[in-house]
Amino acid sequence: MKEQVVCKTTELEPGEMKAAHFGKQDVLICRTLDGEFYAFLNQCTHQGAPLDKGMICGATTEDSTPGDYHYCRKGEIIRCPWHGREFDIKDEGRMLANPNKRLASFKVRVENEDVIVYK
Amino acid sequence: MGKEHIRIVDTDIHERVQYKDILKYLDEPFKHYIQNCHWVQEKHMPYTQPTVAGVDRADAKIPDGKPAGTDLAFMQKQLLDDIGHEFGILTSALDPSPSSMHGWYEMATALASAYNNWQIEEWLERDERLYGSVHIAAQDRDAAVKEINRVGSHPKMVQVLLPIDDIMWGDPFYHPIFEAAEKHNLMIGMHHNEPPVYYGKWPRYFIEWHTLISTAHMKQVTNMIFNGVFDKFPNLGLMMIEGGFTWVPHIMWKMDQQYRDLRHEVPWLKRKPSDIFKEQIRVTTQPAEELTKQEFMSLIEQMGTDEILCFSTDYPHWDYDSPTRALPNLDLELKKKIFAENAKSFYPKLPNSKEF
Repeated sequence: MKEQVVCKTTELEPGEMKAAHFGKQDVLICRTLDGEFYAFLNQCTHQGAPLDKGMICGATTEDSTPGDYHYCRKGEIIRCPWHGREFDIKDEGRMLANPNKRLASFKVRVENEDVIVYK
Repeated sequence: MGKEHIRIVDTDIHERVQYKDILKYLDEPFKHYIQNCHWVQEKHMPYTQPTVAGVDRADAKIPDGKPAGTDLAFMQKQLLDDIGHEFGILTSALDPSPSSMHGWYEMATALASAYNNWQIEEWLERDERLYGSVHIAAQDRDAAVKEINRVGSHPKMVQVLLPIDDIMWGDPFYHPIFEAAEKHNLMIGMHHNEPPVYYGKWPRYFIEWHTLISTAHMKQVTNMIFNGVFDKFPNLGLMMIEGGFTWVPHIMWKMDQQYRDLRHEVPWLKRKPSDIFKEQIRVTTQPAEELTKQEFMSLIEQMGTDEILCFSTDYPHWDYDSPTRALPNLDLELKKKIFAENAKSFYPKLPNSKEF
């Protein structure tokens, strides 16, 4: 099994993300507000934008109705730096507007202070 | 698409000036109004553009904190060198510029001249790949004509960027502008600005406005064709920028059908509207919808020619189109046309251009 230390836990505060390398691949390491780590291919499924240049944020949800915004999921959504497409970190990187599309993801575990990505 | 095999002529690149950088090109008292009197351009858009970095790609911000599009070296690195552009045509960032100004024609006219001088000195003369657009404040038409005559003969100016306003472009009001453009071998560039014609109001949401940008383009081109602009100015060409292209077959069919029925109202038209379109009008690709190759080829077939579309990125804006990802993987000959040859054939002042 291929695995690699991509960063230290102290390098990422909850709600932050950063680019890293996993072998030859560019990966995106995300840390949600509950402290969990996630890893995806650092490339938007649409036109290939580098996702680490975007932001981690919340989302206006489907509970919203016209004239009444409902905003939550803070720290759980990746937004692409170009076209603003939203991907759900805690739902396998699925795109909010089309859940059939998702970011390629990697497994992650933490040992001591090492964040380890593996397949 | 192999970068090294396909030449790219990018027909929509947005350079941007900051007020402090344009001051030295601005005459008094207009410089004074900005420097000492806190003048800033009126802003129209009621929305926060709901993207990561407003109007821009979040990764196009200059590392020293300046806004995207303000730095030639960074643009060279991120766009021109990286992708391997043969040529790029600058279309500005509209602020500060006369493009969305109303009132105070003198200020708009002064800004247009300053902008043109800044563009020539800081961009066109510093990168041989870059070509430019003449900015005008068309609300003062005669001043606009003077400006076209002042900078239009610059070898790297290829078009006049005419702001969309509340006078339609087929109106005789604009004809002296077309005449001046034609005299200098400049095409007319139509880029959406804020707001495009929308019954005098903004729609409630940005997504509606952005979806319907092409409707402003359709209204203008219909008006120009039926008012006889392209017959009166046979060497004039129109580049329709940043309105997408999937609407093109619809408007060609619709105008032809109407012409068959209602020709007696516009007897000065000597050609079918779709023929005028094919001969004198070009359309940039961005923002491209996600089409399959089959869907894309079907549209080309419906247009009746593969010479209308010209690739554009819209760099550094948020809805940038990647040259390698935005369009389906097309056959080599068509790819060459869309990515470079169509634009070269259209703009008489681009090197290697053929006669229009």
